[in-house]
Amino acid sequence: MNTILTYISVSDGKIKRSSLEVLSKCRLEAEKNGLKTAALIVDENASSLAEKVRPYGPSEVYIVEGSEFKNHLNSPVLKAVSGAMNTIQPKVMAFASTENSKDILGALAANQNAPALPDMSEFELTDKGVKGKRPVMAAKIISRVEAVGDPVIISVRSGSYDLIESPSEPQIKKLDFTVTEKEIKTTIREILTAAGDKVDLSEAQTIVAAGRGVRDEEGRKLIDELATVLNAGIGASRALTESGVYDPSLQIGQTGKVVSPQLYIAVGISGAIQHTAGMANSKVIVAVNKDPDAPIFDITDYGIVGDLYKVLPPFIEELKKLKSN
Amino acid sequence: MKFYVCIKQVPDVNAPLQIRDGELLQDRDRMILNAYDASAVEESLVLTEEHGGKVEVVMVGPDKARETLRKALAMGADNGTMILTDRPDLDSTAYSRILAAFFKDKDYDFICCGKQAQDTDAGLTGSMLAEQLELPYVSNAVGLNYENEKLIVRRQGDAGQEIIELPSPGLVTCSNDMNEPRIPNLKGIMQSKKKPVDSITPEDLGIDIGSIELSTNILGFEEMPERETGKKFEGDPDEIAREVARLLDQEAGLV
Ligand SMILES: Cc1cc2nc3c(=O)[nH]c(=O)nc-3n(C[C@H](O)[C@H](O)[C@H](O)COP(=O)(O)OP(=O)(O)OC[C@H]3O[C@@H](n4cnc5c(N)ncnc54)[C@H](O)[C@@H]3O)c2cc1C
Repeated sequence: MNTILTYISVSDGKIKRSSLEVLSKCRLEAEKNGLKTAALIVDENASSLAEKVRPYGPSEVYIVEGSEFKNHLNSPVLKAVSGAMNTIQPKVMAFASTENSKDILGALAANQNAPALPDMSEFELTDKGVKGKRPVMAAKIISRVEAVGDPVIISVRSGSYDLIESPSEPQIKKLDFTVTEKEIKTTIREILTAAGDKVDLSEAQTIVAAGRGVRDEEGRKLIDELATVLNAGIGASRALTESGVYDPSLQIGQTGKVVSPQLYIAVGISGAIQHTAGMANSKVIVAVNKDPDAPIFDITDYGIVGDLYKVLPPFIEELKKLKSN
Repeated sequence: MKFYVCIKQVPDVNAPLQIRDGELLQDRDRMILNAYDASAVEESLVLTEEHGGKVEVVMVGPDKARETLRKALAMGADNGTMILTDRPDLDSTAYSRILAAFFKDKDYDFICCGKQAQDTDAGLTGSMLAEQLELPYVSNAVGLNYENEKLIVRRQGDAGQEIIELPSPGLVTCSNDMNEPRIPNLKGIMQSKKKPVDSITPEDLGIDIGSIELSTNILGFEEMPERETGKKFEGDPDEIAREVARLLDQEAGLV
């Protein structure tokens, strides 16, 4: 009733930065509205992660721990979060928008009979609930939305808010949790982890993204080299994830991931709205494309018109030189 | 095997649009079958072609959205139900309640939905429906197989993919990364005209649509903040490449 609760996303034992961004913003909203800030960690090793949220100022950290959370499966997580909401009765339940929070958001809203606003780029509390903004129409425009209710469930796009430190001495409260095998009706048969390095694109400071213009092994080698020099994560357009050239988890855009790095370099990507929907929020955008009319140039800060096979080698060489100075 | 696929008609996001006084003006003639739903239809057809069974499509929408239902029938779905409403402001909760009322007395193995609608990208309706029907579900499917009365779902997660067994009855939400939906051929289009379509209203399902109070509302639309137009470099590849590298270092401090 008097709490804003933030769900802390954990992946591979690490807290996702985007959920700390949400926690930071929730603390500001809580202070403005005379509410408490709390965090909820649902994980196999949740207790050991509580310390990591302390810098962002929650007054309570709720913990749900269990081996059921080793790999993401929606039914135990849903049960844990709805149980926590029943106990804590938050005014707002906020998530970072990730594939795993998307997995439960609707079900949680139905379970709690609460309105939900997904993928917000801005939000604030009102006396009736929550209002804010979310990109729609493949992020061509913004829709101003409101939810009326108590609680309201929201998710927030990564990169929408800065991390703000304000350390606290939170109370750690463990919530009871049991789930029977009968309740978990689905079973994970296998986990296929993405090949290659595991930079979390939603947190990467620099991303080099490859599109259809990167047509062969030589092109991919150039992408790898460029990413290495810049210590960047590699992303891809749908043209290259669909054809199996890059792992599907690297797809950036409307169907794929939404990213907001400091630097985004689009190589051989035309700039279809479904792609830019996932990256137009990057701070600095560079594109390499041989077509001077490619739509990607409408949103670039530095547009290089040219054949990527001719542009990338000197580009990489120059970057290396600058780095070594 | 009986599949139901929930489909929606959406505006084509590629069509030009305009915002005037906070209102969204768009070409109402360019309405399409939501791409994610099209993938759900396609995958259900592939599975029933292989393992036998029927595919029924269900749509909540105005009468003029029938053409989109027809498209799914032309792709190969066996029959359809149109749940007619002219209310334009329904949110995911309202849609899922109407659908839940529809499914209450139905028999099926699996319900497939698109993972989100192309226009709003909300992605809530599928799992809201699953929760109301108390069905197990898997979201963001990028591949489906059928084995021993279970759907074997490949789900795209944050970092990798999971292979999940979904028993019947269950619900799955589909990504368009799953397949390339077929384009209806002439035969399919001809046949679709003879396929049975039930037309019902929310009232037939016990829902008084006029009095549904929405808990989420659209207050208005606005333009995306414009990005400042940057510089475009044309000319000798070696020169422009090096120049941009230096600018990234000097101007942007990003090297
Ligand atoms: C519902 C829906 C969701 C979608 N979701 C996504 C998504 O999440 N992510 C996504 O990326 N797409 C998505 N798409 C697909 C999207 O519409 C485009 O088809 C896709 O982004 C195109 O990828 P591309 O730019 O790599 O390929 P293309 O559009 O084919 O562009 C290739 C570009 O490379 C340039 N090029 C070619 N050779 C060279 C060279 N030697 N040097 C330099 N430049 C060169 C060309 O000039 C061209 O501009 C979605 C589509 C739909 C309908």
